[in-house]
Amino acid sequence: MNVVPLALYVVALAAYTWHFARRDPLIGRSATTLLVAAVLAHTFVIGMKTMEVGHLPLGGATSAISTFVLLLAVAYLCIEVTTDERAMGAFILPLLAALQAIPAFRPGLEERAAVLQGPLFGLHVSSLLFAYASFALACMIGITYVLLFKEIKAKHLGFFYARLPSLQVLDTMNQRAIIFGWVFLTIGLAVGAVWTWQARVYAPGDPRVQHMSLQDPKIFVALVCWAVYSFELFAARRIGWGGRRAAYLSVLGFAIVLLNFVPISYFLTRSHDF
Amino acid sequence: MHLLVVGISHRTAPVELREQLDFQARGLEGALRALAARGSTREVAVVSTCNRAELYVACDDADPARADLTTFFSDFHGVDRASLAGHIYDLADLEAAQHLFRVAAGLDSLVVGEPQILGQVKDAYTAATTARSIGPVLSRLFHSAFAVGKRVRTETGVGSGAVSIGFAAVALARKIFGDLKGRNVVVIGAGEMGKLTALHLKSHGVHRVTIVSRTMAHAARTAEAIGGASAAPWDELDALLAASDIVITATGASAPILTKAHIETVMRPRRNRALFIIDIAVPRDVEAAAGEIEQVFLYNIDDLQATVRENLARRTSEVVRAEVIVTEEVEKFGGWFRSRGAIPTVVALRQRFEAIRRAELARLDFKLSTLPPDVRARVDDITRLIVEKLLLTPTEQLKSIGDAETVGAYSEALTKLFGLGPQQPEETGEQAPRAAGRVEPFSREGRPKRASTGSERPEPREGREPR
Repeated sequence: MNVVPLALYVVALAAYTWHFARRDPLIGRSATTLLVAAVLAHTFVIGMKTMEVGHLPLGGATSAISTFVLLLAVAYLCIEVTTDERAMGAFILPLLAALQAIPAFRPGLEERAAVLQGPLFGLHVSSLLFAYASFALACMIGITYVLLFKEIKAKHLGFFYARLPSLQVLDTMNQRAIIFGWVFLTIGLAVGAVWTWQARVYAPGDPRVQHMSLQDPKIFVALVCWAVYSFELFAARRIGWGGRRAAYLSVLGFAIVLLNFVPISYFLTRSHDF
Repeated sequence: MHLLVVGISHRTAPVELREQLDFQARGLEGALRALAARGSTREVAVVSTCNRAELYVACDDADPARADLTTFFSDFHGVDRASLAGHIYDLADLEAAQHLFRVAAGLDSLVVGEPQILGQVKDAYTAATTARSIGPVLSRLFHSAFAVGKRVRTETGVGSGAVSIGFAAVALARKIFGDLKGRNVVVIGAGEMGKLTALHLKSHGVHRVTIVSRTMAHAARTAEAIGGASAAPWDELDALLAASDIVITATGASAPILTKAHIETVMRPRRNRALFIIDIAVPRDVEAAAGEIEQVFLYNIDDLQATVRENLARRTSEVVRAEVIVTEEVEKFGGWFRSRGAIPTVVALRQRFEAIRRAELARLDFKLSTLPPDVRARVDDITRLIVEKLLLTPTEQLKSIGDAETVGAYSEALTKLFGLGPQQPEETGEQAPRAAGRVEPFSREGRPKRASTGSERPEPREGREPR
């Protein structure tokens, strides 16, 4: 089922890239239309899954990735519609397509243990997915910032100069995405901690609950992420680390998020191995 | 019908001559009226800018019109004909169309792709429409030219990139800061170059412009010349730099006035907010190493000139793509233009059929007169409808033919088959048009054709072709 949205994401990716190179408004509009189609198809797929299992598919790492891709696509579409700026699509779509390939080719089982039910768990997962989607946007905006920054600094006004919005706009967009993501990351971590505390009481025998400590890579790396983004926010305001440095930090932060999201979730963590 | 352009441009004539032949200065409307009154043309439009003066006309006979238009240039402007020789050029039919398309696309401009020319071509069209000197041929020509201008602008990079120092500076500032509203500009030095660049930024909405000079009086004078700018003494420079976003340096100093260390100290209180320094002084006012500071964007006059050159080169490389668009549109226009050769035949054919219908109705009048009036009206309607329907397909077919030769052959065949020649006027009771193949654009279906000598100027709105 996840293959249909994947195919649409890939076609949209091609259209966005083509639009970025040729800057033909017609291709741009087609690209947006394709992405909207992909989002609708994806929403349908997730909706069907929800009906099938009786709750939002957030439990397994695979379903979480699928939901994350949808959130990111929606967040990007919001930015595109509000700023009328399609250049970023060429940078976001590869990520969407790559991540969607995981649920498309490795359909995870959505079985939720009793311990993983309840509103706190849902809030925990959805907050973090929102946070990660924001960080993904911030990362892509950061990459484009650096590309444009380098062209202007090197006084070689070429490809990106002609296509990207101004440094100031990119910086503001990046900061907003980071603030948004940081707030949800904080909520998600806090809710996770409260949930663990409760689970220790109600389900002390669950092997996952027993591993929920700072020694678990998933939890540890999530806290590292929080530290990186907290520093970025602080540095941008207090010591003038805006612009390119903030852009680099956004890329670093999201690299850690991805690390946590894909390899650690699948292979290393023992507390979050759903 | 022929298209003709006669004119001069920056490519063929020096500025002194162009000034003498400026239609705008003498009043475009007067020129259009004077030209129309000469009678050698059917439709006229005048494109007049500081770089060109061109007459676009539709006429029956190209050669006399060409000579007459040249005479018009010298008559209207009071310039000796001999002094025009070698400067004036003329192009006919599709070459004339191609010329206007290239002009509208900015391909014939002094600076390739400059944007004003399309507006000027539109002005020429508006003026000609207001003066009612334009008909279907030029109207179609100009609208095609607007389409070419628009296509070239959106589909190619011919109009992209700044091609002057001032524009390049503004474009860069916008790429760094986005909106320039609320940005503060400091100009160091009270010279002309600094003033011009500041004026440019000011016209793009910067918040405040402050002029700093070693001599306060000079700064005050420049600030006044810019209008809305303020002057500040030299010892306030550091405070101003800390609060500014864009710095223009244009002093005559022989050694750098802003060193890397100096700018580093200024950047600290700014918390690394971006600073765009435009150094247009020669020798340079800002140490080149200052450009290494994070969030400092330093461009000197050579850098700006290099971007201008790059942009010009990019525009030139896009010209080929623009020319392809021009060629496509000329072909499209050519198809329409040539198909107009069929119009006289179409008109003649319709008149012939209509005449037969009327003659038959008149012949049967003694029978029809017994019928009640509403039935007679119905008979009239029905017969007219039959004629319309019979003619619909041949008309459409004839008008869709793209090449003149086929149009000529078909027209000749129709003329022979239906006896459309001038020998039957007594039979139809109406004056049939002259030989087919000649274009009579102002005729209207069903209307008796005037003996067209070209001296009568039809109303522009009446220039519809028969459908």
